[in-house]
Amino acid sequence: MSDSAGANAPKPSSSVKLVLLGEAAVGKSSLVLRFVNNDFQENKEPTIGAAFLTQKCTLPTRTIKFEIWDTAGQERFASLAPMYYRNAQAALVVYDVTKPSSLTKAKHWVAELQRQASPGIVIALVGNKLDLTNDGGDAFAAPEPENESVGAEGDEATDEAAEDTTPGDARKVSTREANSYAEEESLLFFETSAKTGTNVVDVFTAIANAIPESSLKTGRGAAGAGQTALGGRSGEDSRVNLGERNAATAKEGCAC
Amino acid sequence: METLSETPWDVIIAGTGLAQSLLALALSRSGKKVLHLDRNPYYGGSEAAFSLDEAQEWMDGVNQRGQSPFEDVKIFTYQHPQDSPQSTPSQDGSESSARPAGTPDIRANLAASRAYTLSLSPYFLYTRSRLISTLISSKVYRQLEFMAVGSWWIHSPENPNVEDCDLGATRAFHRVPGNREDIFADTHISMKSKRTLMRFLRHISKSEDEGDVETDEDLSMPFGEYLSSKFSVPQNLHAPLLSLSLSQLSQQSTSATYAVPRVKRHLSSIGTFGPGFGGVVSKYGSASEILQVACRASAVGGGVYALDTGIQSLADGDVTADAEYPVEVQLSSGESVRSKVVFGSTWDLSEKEQLSPPTKVARSISVVSSSLASLFPITVEGAPMAASTVLMFPGDTLSSPQSPPVYLQVHSSDTGDCPREQSIIYGSVSLPGPEGHTLLECAVDRLVRAEGPQAIVLWSMRYDQLGRLSNDGTPPTLHTHSPHVFSFPPSSLDLALEDDTVDTVKEAWTRIVGVEVDHDDFMIFDDRDGASAE
Repeated sequence: MSDSAGANAPKPSSSVKLVLLGEAAVGKSSLVLRFVNNDFQENKEPTIGAAFLTQKCTLPTRTIKFEIWDTAGQERFASLAPMYYRNAQAALVVYDVTKPSSLTKAKHWVAELQRQASPGIVIALVGNKLDLTNDGGDAFAAPEPENESVGAEGDEATDEAAEDTTPGDARKVSTREANSYAEEESLLFFETSAKTGTNVVDVFTAIANAIPESSLKTGRGAAGAGQTALGGRSGEDSRVNLGERNAATAKEGCAC
Repeated sequence: METLSETPWDVIIAGTGLAQSLLALALSRSGKKVLHLDRNPYYGGSEAAFSLDEAQEWMDGVNQRGQSPFEDVKIFTYQHPQDSPQSTPSQDGSESSARPAGTPDIRANLAASRAYTLSLSPYFLYTRSRLISTLISSKVYRQLEFMAVGSWWIHSPENPNVEDCDLGATRAFHRVPGNREDIFADTHISMKSKRTLMRFLRHISKSEDEGDVETDEDLSMPFGEYLSSKFSVPQNLHAPLLSLSLSQLSQQSTSATYAVPRVKRHLSSIGTFGPGFGGVVSKYGSASEILQVACRASAVGGGVYALDTGIQSLADGDVTADAEYPVEVQLSSGESVRSKVVFGSTWDLSEKEQLSPPTKVARSISVVSSSLASLFPITVEGAPMAASTVLMFPGDTLSSPQSPPVYLQVHSSDTGDCPREQSIIYGSVSLPGPEGHTLLECAVDRLVRAEGPQAIVLWSMRYDQLGRLSNDGTPPTLHTHSPHVFSFPPSSLDLALEDDTVDTVKEAWTRIVGVEVDHDDFMIFDDRDGASAE
């Protein structure tokens, strides 16, 4: 009894707002679908409107609940993204490794995030559609820009040599080019395949790990929040939880 | 979708104020094809929130273009005494000379522009307001963070504690008792006065409990007269009670019909979501954040958004041409779109006519180099630390008894509106033009002086705003411009959002959905965690 209670004691849980950006058809929604449902749809219809999905990511010491906002094709009206990345703690900027113009677009998004989003935002640059290249399976993955391993450096060089010469390889953006850009801008960097699932979970885990403890909030609407703030001024403790009276209020409101 | 004109729309909504954004959400979730536009490159219209740089841009736009509910915007930036011999602009400069010259004070500096979220409409929500229940039933509240609105304060220039520096800003203010325990504990009120106050509060809460048994009570007299004649509440307690109603008119001009239900609202809201507070304010820009969350949820429901795209002109009623989509709209982008119905505010529909002249108030936003911590005491055990507080300056403390009161709402850094060790003062007075601006400046100056020499107004903006006040009396309704074009009333200028904003949204929604859906289902949605895997 007491044992299981100890083992099942809930880890601290935090919500992280993550915004998904990138050119149309680079596979943004597919990446999220793979992460959230472990599923892939060939020839997926373009997302209409926008999408909101959530997925939990369990780390050794805490649980992160990603709230994923997909601007989904409305970028052309340049209207949703600013609202989406406002107060976002993480951004996934996606390009297609077979389409150089999509990296240009990704760089544009990174610049805009650095200019407009919250100063502490964690940005991950993701090159998707790795399955269309020859190095399909064992992809490049830099865990974090700071603690980059020497081994990865070597692999990368050989990868690149291979991909430039091999016929039938659809790759048009070299790992080296994207990685050195990511390093310059202090971005997390991964190459993924939403189709095969390569590196997809790793991207989200890396983001979860990179988010500074200080910018984490306890889950919105989580029980207990907003009740105990006798100490110093702390925004986290003093949030008001509207979920508490949920049922009662919903019933008596609005049914006028 | 490549262009907006590709398909006809069920509804085009112009402007992204709170009412329009809630309507967009309600309709998109009722399966309507919604195109939501804003002529500005930002969300919120007259309820937007800005960084310092954006505020500057906004000011330039308003003063040049006109044609908006704002007039006469001015921005003042504090000049360090060592930078300029002129010292504080728009102040007499004596407070800057009180600081030893050349002492670098790191706190007395503005942070980066984006560290600020300055709200044009910093209203808060009472916990029992219709918008709160709408945010809950629609699950929109999950994307928002709310902070408590704490104490109410009344300015009392002749406070005996004026020498006690430990009290900070509260030296110049009395805390308004918000419940029976407060009244008992209050040391400024005589026993006799306490009894009259208790009688009034008991009367109010009684009619609340017993389902408004006393609705036939005569409330046509001014609020002050009502308090004196019916409960013998002494004069000096009239202003504190008036402040709980948030009336923007003077005591003489505020009727009991207005004040009594709003004092009730204040008292009955306390405790709903936790002890010690009855109001909440949304983090990161108040109304601006709520409406953006609504737009986001509307986009997830299929709504399409285009900023920087206004309505140039529209033609309605040519029933023979395209009966199903009778409204043809020319957008500022050059595109032409068709819709069954169009909604917008008067300004968004670029109508020249004003139906009833809107009310005009003066407002100010000030960034202060102090957290003004003494204004945020914890007064009830277990209460959350408040992030916002309301200060009222009765007319006679700044000008004359006939003057309208000045209200200041102070937001701490917990609202996300400013960096730590600073605070934002939002001021409002229902007297536009230079007179109102002077009252606002004077009120802010008294608060800042009471705090002490370390408190400086680092940046401030003052402007006149057109809209409507609940004091105006007539409840707002949708206006029919032509058979398929409707306009919302102008934005609320109240300090706490009144329920009528949600009522007009429901009215608009009902017009569109007709008998298709049960009207009780307005804004009641299931959780949209989508493919969420636990």
